[in-house]
Formats: sequence, C-alpha cells, structure tokens
Amino acid sequence: MSSRLQAEHLFKVFGRRPDDAVEKLRRGCDREELRADGTTAAVIDASFTVEPGQIFVVMGLSGSGKSTLLRMLNGLLEPTAGHVRFDGQDLTELSDRELRQVRSKKISMVFQHFALFPHRSVLENAAYGLEVQGVPRAEREKRATEALELAGLAGWEKSWPDELSGGMQQRVGLARALATDADLLLMDESFSALDPLIRRDMQDQLIELQDKLKKTIVFITHDLNEAMRLGDQIAVMRDGRIVQTGSAEDILVRPANDYVASFTQDVDRSRVLTAASVMDTDVRGDEAGCGCPTATSGTPFGELCAISARVSHPVAVVDTVNGERRLVGVVPRQRLIGSLGDEQGDPAPCDSPRAGGEKVAARA
Amino acid sequence: MPRIPLGDWVNDAVDWLLDHVAWLFDFFKTVFLGAYDGISAVLQAPEPLLLAGIFAVIALWLRGTLAAVLAFLGFAFIDSMELWDDAMVTLSLVLVATIIALVISVPVGIWAARSSRVSAAVRPVLDFMQTLPAMIYLIPAILFFGTGAPAGIVATLIFALAPGVRMTELGIRQVDKELVEAAEAFGTTPRNTLLRVQLPLALPTVMAGVNQVIMLGLSMAAIAGMVGTGGLGGDVNEAIGQLNVGLGSEAGVAIVILAIYLDRMTGALGTQVSPLGRRAAARARAAQGLKIWSYRPRPAVAVVGVVVLALVAGGMGIFGPANDSTTAVASDGKNVGQGKKVTIGYIPWDEGVASTFLWKEILQERGFEVEAKQFDAGPLYTSLAQGSVDFQTDAWLPTTHEQYWKKYGDRLDDLGSWYGPTSLELSVPSYMKGIDSLEDLKGRAAEFGGKITGIESSAGEMALLKSKVLKEYGLDEEYEVVDSSTPAMLAELKRAYAKKEPVVVTLWSPHWAYNDYDLKKLKDPEGAWGEGDGVHTLSRKGFAEDNPEVGRWLKDFEMDEKQLTSLEAEINKAGKGQQQEAVRTWLKDNPGVVDELAPVEGGTTAAAETKRPLDVAWFPWEEDVAVTYLWKNVLEKKGYELNLKQMDVGPVYTGLSTGDLDLNFDAWLPYGQKSYWDKYKDDLHDLGSWYGPTSLDVAVPSYVKGVESFEDLKGKADVFDGRIVGIEPGTGQMDLLKNKVLPGYGLDGEYKVVDGSGPAMLAELKRAYARKEPVAVTLWSPHWAYSEYELTRLEDGKKLFGDSNRLHTVSSKDFPEQYPRLTRWIENFEMSEDELGTLENEIKDRGRGHEEQAVAAWLEDHPDVAERMTS
Repeated sequence: MSSRLQAEHLFKVFGRRPDDAVEKLRRGCDREELRADGTTAAVIDASFTVEPGQIFVVMGLSGSGKSTLLRMLNGLLEPTAGHVRFDGQDLTELSDRELRQVRSKKISMVFQHFALFPHRSVLENAAYGLEVQGVPRAEREKRATEALELAGLAGWEKSWPDELSGGMQQRVGLARALATDADLLLMDESFSALDPLIRRDMQDQLIELQDKLKKTIVFITHDLNEAMRLGDQIAVMRDGRIVQTGSAEDILVRPANDYVASFTQDVDRSRVLTAASVMDTDVRGDEAGCGCPTATSGTPFGELCAISARVSHPVAVVDTVNGERRLVGVVPRQRLIGSLGDEQGDPAPCDSPRAGGEKVAARA
Repeated sequence: MPRIPLGDWVNDAVDWLLDHVAWLFDFFKTVFLGAYDGISAVLQAPEPLLLAGIFAVIALWLRGTLAAVLAFLGFAFIDSMELWDDAMVTLSLVLVATIIALVISVPVGIWAARSSRVSAAVRPVLDFMQTLPAMIYLIPAILFFGTGAPAGIVATLIFALAPGVRMTELGIRQVDKELVEAAEAFGTTPRNTLLRVQLPLALPTVMAGVNQVIMLGLSMAAIAGMVGTGGLGGDVNEAIGQLNVGLGSEAGVAIVILAIYLDRMTGALGTQVSPLGRRAAARARAAQGLKIWSYRPRPAVAVVGVVVLALVAGGMGIFGPANDSTTAVASDGKNVGQGKKVTIGYIPWDEGVASTFLWKEILQERGFEVEAKQFDAGPLYTSLAQGSVDFQTDAWLPTTHEQYWKKYGDRLDDLGSWYGPTSLELSVPSYMKGIDSLEDLKGRAAEFGGKITGIESSAGEMALLKSKVLKEYGLDEEYEVVDSSTPAMLAELKRAYAKKEPVVVTLWSPHWAYNDYDLKKLKDPEGAWGEGDGVHTLSRKGFAEDNPEVGRWLKDFEMDEKQLTSLEAEINKAGKGQQQEAVRTWLKDNPGVVDELAPVEGGTTAAAETKRPLDVAWFPWEEDVAVTYLWKNVLEKKGYELNLKQMDVGPVYTGLSTGDLDLNFDAWLPYGQKSYWDKYKDDLHDLGSWYGPTSLDVAVPSYVKGVESFEDLKGKADVFDGRIVGIEPGTGQMDLLKNKVLPGYGLDGEYKVVDGSGPAMLAELKRAYARKEPVAVTLWSPHWAYSEYELTRLEDGKKLFGDSNRLHTVSSKDFPEQYPRLTRWIENFEMSEDELGTLENEIKDRGRGHEEQAVAAWLEDHPDVAERMTS
C-alpha cells in the first residue's frame, strides 16, 4: 500500500554560494570552517531509506538539522544537493506546481505547535488539506469527520481550536494530516510541546493508528525515550550529519561513537532491552534442562529480572521455531545487572570479600 | 562647504512636472474630483436627521443600541450647530482620501510583507511622507491640482498613506510562520496562502491601519481647509482668523464627533470582518447574556434598516425640490440655422484649419449642419466658384493668392479680411539678447553657426529671403539659408529652444510657434519682406444673401494674433482628427467667443459670462467677508454663479496665478501683500482699489497713558517688557516694522518684534486688555479690534510705514478677457468707510452662517448700492 522513501546524499546549506559550500563539505571541510565564511551547513550528506509501513525516527538535539532534513522531504526546503525519491518520483526534480500536487495528495505533516488555523473550526481545520485538493464540501466534511474520529475527537467538530487542550489540538493536527489519505506522514516534534502524560497517550495512539493504517512515517524528536518507543528505525543526527542509523537496540547496545553513547546514557534501558539483546549466545545446550521458568528472545528486560530473581542459575532463553523449542542463549545475573550500566565487562574478583555481604545488599 | 542647491532642484522638478506631466495630474484631478463629487452628492442629498438615522443604524449593527443612540445624538448636535453641510464635506473628503489610500496602501503593504527589499525601499518613503510638514506639499498641491477638494485629497492622502502600508505589512508579517508553513505543507498556492491564511489572520491589524488612515485623514482634512477644501477645516481656519473661539470650538467638536464615530465604527467593522474578531465578540456576548444596550441586529436587519431610511431620504430628495426644474432654459433664440447645410472648404494650413473648425463649431452651435472639406488651393477656388463650397476662410490676398483671385474673382464674394496683416519674417528666441532686427544679425554669424534654418526651398518666402532680404541687409555673405521643411524647421526650433541655443528660423505670422515659444520677430526697417497679406474670407456668389446672419457674422469676423495662435497651438497639441475637440477646449478657455463672433438676439456677451461659475477666494477677515458676500448677492441677482472658497493668503495668490481662482477682493496693496504680489504679478490682474486708505499700525490700549506716537515709545521698553507683539513673520507689515519703522525711530535697540500670527497677536491683546497690562501690538485698519477695544493708534510722524495700502480686487490674468462686463463693474466699484463699517456690523450681529441674510438686509437699507455696483 505505502511506498518507500529514499533520501540520497542530501545537503542543505544556507548562505551565499551554497553550491561551493557543498563541494567543500564533500571534500571534507567541516561545519566550523564554513561558518567562518558566513554560510551555515544545516544538513550534510544525509542518506537513508524508509520502508513502507515503517516509523523512521530522526533524533538529535536542537540545531542538529533534523527539522531542516524533514522539510526537504516534502520540498518545503529545496535541498542544495541530493535527491529525495518517493512513490517512484524524484521530488527534487519537480516543478513548484507538481510539488504542490504531491504535498496536497501524498505527503502530510504534523507540526510541533500544532499550527491549527485559528480562524477555522475543528472540522474546517481537519478538512483543510481536502479543501486545497478541491474536494467538494460534502465529501470533505465526511472524510474530515472520519479522520477526527480516528484521532479520537468525535463530537468536537463544531469547536474552535482555542477551546481545546494541547493534546486535543494535536489530535486535530493529526486528523488534518490523516484526512488527505497521504501515504507519507511527516511529524515534526509533534508531541514535544505536550506534557508527559498526554505525550504518552499520544504515542500510544500513534502506535495504535499505525497498526491499523500502516503509513510510512518520519518522526522527528529530541527525546530518546520517545524515539525508542516509536521507532522501527532510528537515525541519530549531530551537527547536520547522521551519525548512526539502526534499531533502538542497535543504538543502545552498539552505539556508533561516544556521542551516541553519551546520548543513550540516561535512557531507561529496562524499557528497551529484551532478552535477545542481553543474552549470552555461547551456550552449552543443557541450561534449559531443569523445570525452571525460561524466557523468550522478546521478553522485556523487567520481566527477565523477575525470572532471574526466581531461579538460582542463569535464565535460559528458549524460542519456539516451527513448533520446536530451541535454546538460543542464557542470561547470567551479572550480565543482567551490567547491561543496566554504561560499561559492560566481565566481573572482576573482589580483594576482600565481606562476610554477610549478600545480606547487606538484600536489606538495602 | 559647497552649497547643495536642493531647493533649486525641487523648483526645477516642479516646473518640469508642470510642463510635461500635466495630463497625469489632470487625470488624477478628474478621478479625485469625480469620486469626491459622487460621495459628497450622496451625503449632502438627504435630510440631515435622516442621514443621522442611517449612521445610527450602522452603529446599531456594528456596536449596539448605546452606540446608535450616541451616534444619532452626535450627528443631530452637528446639525443643530448648523455645521451639517461642512461636516459632510469633510466626511466626503476623508472617505475619498481613505478609499484611495487603501487602494494604494494595502497592495503595497502586501508587497512589502513578501519582499524585504521592497519593504526596505518603501520605509524611508513612508517616513518622508509622514513627517514632511504638511504645508510644504499643501501649497505645491495647488500648483498641480488647483484649489479645492483634489488638493486637499492629495495632501490628506500623502499624510494618511503610511499607516495603511505599515499596518498591512506588519499584520501579514505577524502571522505565525508555522501557520504559513502548514498551509504550504498541504500544497496551498502562494495566492491562496495570502487570501485564506495570511490576510484573514492579518485583518485585525490591517483594520487598525484603516482606522489610523481615517483618523490621520480627518486631522489632515482640517488643515487642508487652508487650500479651500471648505468643510469643517474651513470653519476652523476661519475661526482662527477671526479669533472666534466659539466657532472654533463648535467646528472642533464637530470634527471630534466625526472622529469618534469613524473610529468606533471602523474598530467594530474590524471585529466584524475578521473571523477571529467575530468569534471573540460572540463569546463575549454569550458570557454577558442579552442586554438591551448591547443589542445588535443581524446584518440583514441592519441592511433593511439602512435601505428603508435611504429610500425615504431619496424619496424626499425627489419630491422635495420637484419644482426646481426651471433650469432647462430653451435656447430657441440661438437656433439660427434650423438644420441648414453649410460647406466650408479649407487648405491644410494652420490658420486655415483653425478658423475653419472654429466656424464649424460656431455654426453647429447655431443650429447649422456643417461640413468641412479639405482642398489644395487650386481646387478650393474652383469649387468655390462652382458653388459646391459655401465659403473658405484662408485666402491670402492681395499677394499670395493673386493668380486665383484674378481667375475666379468675379464669381466670388470677398467677405473681408479677418486677420492681418500677415507677415513673413526671420525669428529668434527671446533669450537671444541684442538681436531685435535683421540689421542686428550682421557680424554675429558665428553665434548661429552661419545658418538660417529655412523651410521648403520651393516656398515663396524662401525665394524672397534668398534673393532679396539677405542682400538688402548685406547678410548673404555671412549666412547660409538651409533648405529644409516646415516640420524640420519647427523641430530644430524646438530642440534649440529647449537647450537655449542660438537659432534663427524662417517663420511667418500667424503661427502657433509664437504661442508655444517666446520668440522675437526680427524687425525689417528696410521693408524688404514687402507688405503683408490679409487673410480673407471668400464665399460663393450670393452666399451672404442666402444666409444673411452668417454673412453678417463672417463680415464682422476678426481674430487677433493671440487668439489665433493659441487656437492653432491647441489644435496642434490635440493632433490630427481632433480639431473639433481642440476647438471646443479652446472655446471653453475663451468663453464668450461664440457669442462675440455669432451674436444672436438676447445672447449677449453677458450671457456667456454668466455661464461659467466664478471661483472667488476670500480670507476670513471681516472686510473680505463683507465685500465677498456683497458681491455674491449682487452678482447672483444678475445670473452669475459664485463659488466662495475660504483660503489662506499664499494659496489664494497661487490659485489666482494659475487661473484656478478668478477673484479675490481683499488684496492689501501696494504694501501689505507686496511679497505675494511681486512674485505673481505677471500672472495676475489688478482690478483696482475699492476701499482705502488703510493703514498699518502699532497700537497700544488707550489705558496706557502717554504713548501716542512712535516717539513716545522711546525709553518705555520696560513698560512693554521690550516687546512688540507681531504677526506672521515675512508679511510686508512685519518686514517694514523690523527693517524700517523701528530703526527709523531708533527703537530697534530697545524693542524686539515677536514673530507670531494674527490670531496669536489678537489673543495676546485680548489677554493683556482684560488684565489692563501694557501691550504694544502690530495692527492694521480696518480691523474689528479697533471697535472691540479702545486702542490708541501710534502716530507715524515720519511716515515710515509708507503710504497706506488700499484694498484692491485682484483677478487671474485672463479674467478681464473672460468677463469684460464684470471687469468694468469691479473696476468702478468703491465703498465708503461708513458702508463697509455698517455692513461688517450687520454681518457680525447676525452671526456666522447668516452672512447672506445680513447682506440682503443691509442692501435693503442701502438700495442704491446694488445699482451702483452694476452700472
């Protein structure tokens, strides 16, 4: 149903003579050198592919170029170099008029501060994209009503944006984006302005909607937890460059460099890690021989801890493949505790083991 | 530091604009005047209270019951102060200026919002327009647009444009960037982004701009009263001039009422038209609940209300002055021709075309059906002899057309010469000093490059020039006559004239070049060019018997060189195929010519004079009010129509010099308004004095004892604080006082003349008089201050203020030609001190707005005056 989105070597440079700057960047100049000339490189050589139906999260601190990158995907900003391919078209080759066509039919966008039109009612806001497409009033109101229902706003059609809470306003923004039936949804820090509880609700709702609708989504955020929660693929950006692309676990467990590692430092790993990512695959084969509880590859970290507390030996990870149970790895307790920390390594022996030390730990 | 002659550049620019783009200003003037007349007509038509009702219904719709009641009361109050008409004039002025300002400023604002470069370019222009003192462009506005509404509209426009542009730009730039981005992200076109997102959201700010435009326009409309726009501004101006605080505050309050009404209505309109404002208002109302004072009808109800009132107003307008239909005077007496056909033949020479189309127009006006046919000279005479053409006006006799006359003369009637003698000549521009006659050309060939610019080598004039004229003056060695063509000669003349280069051309009279350029015909003391022809009118045999009136008219036909060349110039300007229109334009500028050339019973020249309304400018000074309204009364009985325009001195002289105004009765000459007179006297005409002598004085209250003459002032500086309260600096009286009178009496060390204004001086006098403080003021007589206060006129033993002024009537330059009868009357007009005094008193007693009744009453007591004025 959905189409694949590809970004190839995208550059965006603001300032004078951007093409020269791109050349310099390709030759290995860095951002600071360009800044001395008064040009700003916002995005440098960004490439990625988003498979249909995936949520692709771009994560980075403010100023890392993620919003600029997003705006190149629907042509709001013209890339200085590189190509964006979507649905068989190279968007960078299109005329303004064709680009507007694509934006009105195939790509929609959800904004950080909702960007609802204050002079239009909720229904008119949701129907805006359809109005631009020229859909007759009756039909666009029907489709907008459906979209509002999907976003959980049935019954609020006649209200005005300023009468709604932040979360509800963003639902209108979501409904406006969904109403056009666009395949590609660009979400620019869409939940960042919401308070934490509402944000969680919205994330759940997005996941739920995505299960139903299977859109291709590019989601921008500076919140790593949000990225981990939503992203099938995560790209981490720093200073205009994508420094790592991968799954949540890749980022967490195999950070590409210190920057990513320091980024992931504060993440609540217990929410992200599963048995598969912490287990030791070097197995003898008989660890599952006892009648103790076992885990599967997908068992979340928290549950794994609970199992580990109940058994006296490392927890066996057993997957069922083609109806046949197979041991894939074991999780020793040290490993479990170690993976919560930053550094991983083998336990070193203690110089002066204290008597009753375990008791002290238990009381604490 | 070198002097940068900015002033000269501006003067040159203004002159250039006047010379070259007058058509553009005329166009704007027409547009402004049209819009103004339209709106003014609508606002003036209904009964004041009905219109107040309409205003109230609009207030009811926009703001609610309380606003409606207050609006009605406010406008009724204006009506009760007898300022209704003036208020509507001001309102029309403001509305027109506002509409035009918006038409310009909103698009410019949008453009500036979308392009930072435009914004940067526009901003200094706006600053310039907003801060340049209004007087600086108010006076030039008269040069371009004449006095009255258009000049006022332009000044208002310049002043009020800026906030419209600024607020539109600000409003659009203020719209949340994310909203614009959202619109773009959904594929909205730039145009729709503007119309559906930016403008609706910017609307409250734009409306605040509209509001500012109106407010500034209103404040400027008051100032524009100085250039004769009339209305409340005129009242304020008048009140200031007479130190009439009462009238001033009435007019001021009326302006305030208008201002508050317009402010509140546009504010509410801003809420109504902007979607956000509408919602906010609806919410506020919902919270408040229904209350009678804030009740507002739905738009439909309001529209019905306005329409009903407007219909009632319109109905009364129709039925009211229904008996006023006597204006369509049947002009049967002038229909001499009764559709009879006349054919005129002409040779395409300038004077032939001019006179032929002039007669075509005249005869058509007299009811003939006229055909003008163009011929070569030969065929024209043939046709005339055959009787297929009735007459022609361009026969050069006895010399040039001698051969034709010999051949056809017995079959033609000569109706006499209407112009002449014609002459052939060499001409130079008048800036060529020291060359006045052909003799002067001798020895100056180098200056002219040894060339005389000629015309077609075949022309008789060229032959005469080469073979006879040059030889006679011994110029044939020095000068070479360049064969060329008439158009080329004229082009060369134009080019050289524009650059002020020396040039000598072969020309003849009559020719329009004499009208367009300042040229000198070189004198021919030896008579080498020979006797000039007369331009004759020839008709077929018996035409005069068949058409006795036309025959008589043609026989009496005469034109002077000025008339003919100006007509030729007009035709030349209009271009081919537009001759008839050009003649009509010329006739408009030269009224009375038709009646003069083709007189009919009852249609005397007086009739022509009364056709065009007279524009009479007056100062808000008592003697001028009196004399102006006196003439208005007398002349209106004689069928004249007078438009009175109250203005400041400077604008009046400017207006008179451009011909935009016809008359002003209150010129203090030769001293009081000397500076103006000297500047404009070439373009003005003095119709003589009707009152005098006046005097320029320094006066002190009579309670200041021991000060009776200028000599007495000496040593008393401490009494008067060393000050003599003056009037406007730069007036003739002030200059005299400072430069001659005070030094003459040795007072210049002791006293300082304080610059101020007439009203300020009177205010100071009033204040000091009330407290019995010593004060010395600059005054003049006649002045009402002498009757209001007991003042001592300081004796000017040395006559240093000079001989006294007299009150003159000054007119535009063309006035005596246009109004010969009126010119005679005005030149003979005189008033005695008693007459002027009693008339002024009558007017003062009746109060403002009743000048006409006062004059009527006064004339009843002085029955002989009207008779005396018009005999």
